[in-house]
Amino acid sequence: MDTVTITINGRQVDVPPGTTVLNAARQAGIDIPTLCHFPSLIPIGACRLCLVEVKGQRNPQPACTFPVTQGMEVQTDTPRLYEMRKFILSMLFSERNHFCPYCELSGSCELQDLGYRFGLDHFLFETYTKPFPLDASHRHLVIDHNRCVLCARCIRACSEIAANHTLGLGNRGAATLISCDADAPWGESTCVSCGTCAQVCPTGAIIDRRSSYMGRNRQLDRVASACNRCSVVCAMKVAVRGGRVVRIESDWEAPVNGGLLCERGRFEPLHDERERVTEPMIRREGRLMAATWDDALEAAAEKLRGAGGADLGVAVSGDATNEALYTAAKLFREDLGASYLGLLNRNVPKLSGRSGTLADLATSDLVIVVGVDLMKEMPVAAYLSKRAVDKGARLIVVDDGDNGLAPFASLTVPTSDIASAVAAAAAAGRPVVLHGGVTGETAEALKKIADKASFIAMQPGVNAFAATALGFNGDGRAAGTKVLYMILGEQTVGQVIPGQFTIVQAAFRSPAVEGADIVLPSAVWSERAGSLTSTDGRILKADKAVEPAGSAKADWEILALLAQKMGKKSLSFDETSQAALIEIKGKERA
Amino acid sequence: MKADYDTLLKEFTPEQVEKLKEIIERYKGKPGGLIPVLEEAQVSLEYLPVPVQKVIAAELNLPLSRVYGVVTFYSFFTMTPRGRHTVRVCLGTACYVRGGKAIAETIEKLYDVKEGETTADRRFTYETVRCLGACGLGPVVVIDDEVHGRMKPAKVKEVLNQYE
Repeated sequence: MDTVTITINGRQVDVPPGTTVLNAARQAGIDIPTLCHFPSLIPIGACRLCLVEVKGQRNPQPACTFPVTQGMEVQTDTPRLYEMRKFILSMLFSERNHFCPYCELSGSCELQDLGYRFGLDHFLFETYTKPFPLDASHRHLVIDHNRCVLCARCIRACSEIAANHTLGLGNRGAATLISCDADAPWGESTCVSCGTCAQVCPTGAIIDRRSSYMGRNRQLDRVASACNRCSVVCAMKVAVRGGRVVRIESDWEAPVNGGLLCERGRFEPLHDERERVTEPMIRREGRLMAATWDDALEAAAEKLRGAGGADLGVAVSGDATNEALYTAAKLFREDLGASYLGLLNRNVPKLSGRSGTLADLATSDLVIVVGVDLMKEMPVAAYLSKRAVDKGARLIVVDDGDNGLAPFASLTVPTSDIASAVAAAAAAGRPVVLHGGVTGETAEALKKIADKASFIAMQPGVNAFAATALGFNGDGRAAGTKVLYMILGEQTVGQVIPGQFTIVQAAFRSPAVEGADIVLPSAVWSERAGSLTSTDGRILKADKAVEPAGSAKADWEILALLAQKMGKKSLSFDETSQAALIEIKGKERA
Repeated sequence: MKADYDTLLKEFTPEQVEKLKEIIERYKGKPGGLIPVLEEAQVSLEYLPVPVQKVIAAELNLPLSRVYGVVTFYSFFTMTPRGRHTVRVCLGTACYVRGGKAIAETIEKLYDVKEGETTADRRFTYETVRCLGACGLGPVVVIDDEVHGRMKPAKVKEVLNQYE
């Protein structure tokens, strides 16, 4: 049977077998109140607010865990259920401190919303006055146990989403507390600061220091964005208020990172205190002097016009968006015939074989990580690997030094013993190989499983996948060219070669900026629209969330303006995006 | 994660650590092995401090948070060492009205312990209970399995001195 038919409040609903009553009701647009339930987490039926009456069952059943059966008759909104839910809520409010006015989440709180919904305008039971502790030892997060309702969402997120298992329940009964490891202070625990727990907490129990008290949910706008901290490129939502980024959240709908971000993606951008480049500058008499956009672009265009293709080079960092890469490739290679197109980050060549995606980790039975410390370089890929391990996959780490994933591996071998990893992969069903730069014998050994395993080259450069697809494959040393155009974005890589005329577009001060002849201020991730290509070929779009600092402009826009100055045709953002996508995807297929 | 047995030698004898290894070995890889391991480990080690939990978590391939959760959930498990003798003072209604509270206070003062604690020399673990079903003998103190009825504050020292 493909579907089962059940009746909810007299309405017929067709759903696949195994669906829970809650999901069936939601599909039919029938609302059942919930608190501990969270769509991306496995339901546990702890809070009992979703109780429904099922004909034939003696007691009300929790809708979130109760599976449908053919012909089931469900009532979700009877006076008896209303009273029960109100009673449960009153009990929740009577335990610990749920006195809303001083709580960060007041106005955005699921418990408070339920209180209003069930007309709890006063405490029905005497409140429990024993104070519970507050743990503020974590650098980004604070847990106030007084606000906790023990829904265990944070614990489930920590285990199921981040596969980190730091959070658990300690003690029992009224003394139960969310605890880290064996009751370690949060800041000294095995927490990896992914922040997922804060994103799922329904009350003000887990809050993050940076965004607390900066606005209620309805006062925040959410802008779709893509993380530009590493080549995993996680989809995220930026919470914005009054032209400022308040918080970064993960996008639950995202195909690979759904719900997950790492410390670098979620928190670090909000604490970036590097000095910005806010206005165009031209070197005059040995010093960088402020200039107008028009003057700076004109000076750059003049220099580029004067240089022959053989003398001209362009170097990009992995931070450049697909649009910037496309516009730069078109202008410099096609229109100006530049002799050198380079990538400032190390490029990891793909090993021949099937190119996989990070989504393959979810169904893999063997993960081999070789030549890269994912915990350090690309944490979300490490969490996804750990998730595979939790599902029963084996993890083999091939590394001669320390590797952050080694403690979770079933086998850690030096590169000299790559053969044992290869042998394991040959025996496995769906092996996935995540590799950094591997060469020589290691690469040769891995090629033996090229037909079998999914290979994913983990690029150190954020958008290196797109950069290489668009022809930026020089080694970053543009010796021999007389004029070099550097697109740094937020990165501070690259150096100016004496005697070379250097034009730099960058967001932050760096040695390259200090040595440049012309500097064009570039917008950062939140200030520009643009798309990025992940190391496994997903293309993610970011919208502009806030206005750029000073007169900075999006990286692709600077290049489009420069092309215009040089009398070349320039495309709109959407046209550029589309053209870049075709170019990147086309190259990938070929 | 690698199990760190060496740290355990600070608190336990090599024989006890060997015994723990042997217990874990028997349950390793078996589903539902955690509680039997904790039970037997407590019998051998007397208590289950965090380093022991860490070893068990690593060996059974479980998160430490889960092991800690189980240890703190069941009142049978203890994370602090227990004394050689357990002293239980009844504070049930009958014993209370006949002076149970004074007995409890006397013990707390004489041995410098609070409810649930163990004396520094690990001689006594002191607990209070609600009714032992011997109300006619109240106030009652139970030491290990022996019941001492009609207790008086002045008699506390003499009775407890029978236990080394």
